[in-house]
Amino acid sequence: METSEIQSKVVEVIGRYAKDKEALAKATEATNILEDLKVNSARLVDVILDLEDEFDIEVEDEDADAVNTVGDAISLIKSKLG
Amino acid sequence: MTTDLDVPLRTRLGHSVQGGVGRALSIFWIPATAFVMHVVMRYRIPNASKVRKRFRKIVEESDEPLLICANHLTMVDSAVLAWAVGGSWWYLFHYRWLPWNLPELANYGSTWFNRAGVWILKCIPIRRGGRREDVAATLKRVKYLLSRGETALIFAEGGRSRTGRVQLDSVAHGMGRIVNSVKNCRTLCVYLRGDRQLAFSTVPARGDSFYVDLELFRPESKHSGMRRSRDLAHQIAQRLASMEEKYFARRK
Repeated sequence: METSEIQSKVVEVIGRYAKDKEALAKATEATNILEDLKVNSARLVDVILDLEDEFDIEVEDEDADAVNTVGDAISLIKSKLG
Repeated sequence: MTTDLDVPLRTRLGHSVQGGVGRALSIFWIPATAFVMHVVMRYRIPNASKVRKRFRKIVEESDEPLLICANHLTMVDSAVLAWAVGGSWWYLFHYRWLPWNLPELANYGSTWFNRAGVWILKCIPIRRGGRREDVAATLKRVKYLLSRGETALIFAEGGRSRTGRVQLDSVAHGMGRIVNSVKNCRTLCVYLRGDRQLAFSTVPARGDSFYVDLELFRPESKHSGMRRSRDLAHQIAQRLASMEEKYFARRK
């Protein structure tokens, strides 16, 4: 799967929980999910679980610790997809 | 399962020093805390004797790790809960069963005096919503102390309930994560509520009488990974919500 396709799906999933829709529209790999997109920290778990469903992968808690930005989420998904 | 090697040496040393200093000073601060609650604030726990007997039986009957999970309505819930289940003098001789607490750093970290205070009082400040790595390091330390035979208190909703009832839409994922990763972890659900506590507040009303209920619980899940942690956390919160229903049913 191409990076651009993964990013598009990641942004779509995050969009379900992001409060700052303007920042979401301009999101890049460097965009911080909690700080820039104003996703509630408790909702980050939902974001990751939605990504699990979207990409048919399984994420461990420790894997999710490294997810701060959209780019981190893309890297995690790529590593899980092999 | 957490092993000593998962936690940096610096963290382990820091934990031992903090625990040791707190224990050495506990002869002052534990009775002082109990004095404030019992004499100054005139808090009362009608079923204290029964609750404490039950708690002591729970901690003595097994060597398996024990995580205490509770509802959260006031800023002093951790102190009231510890006093409710263990009294004061008992902790002087069973210090490891006085639960470590995870207060929000923003609430207590404003001054050097406050930071020193919470350090002595068995607290591990956490910044909710902070850097994922920092939160993970704190949870790892909790797993470490549980595996050492100590106990910790986690509020199921993370912060104080904004509705005055257990909020199932705001469950602390870290709670499930700990139970998921600590082998044979038992969960002690504690529902604590002052009879005059209508919603969340800073401290309970002076002279309030507390209802305390304990349920030992071992959640299971068919899921794996992060989904398993979330399932476990939700089961614990659901158990607390059921205990809350019991409380309100008794008051009718």
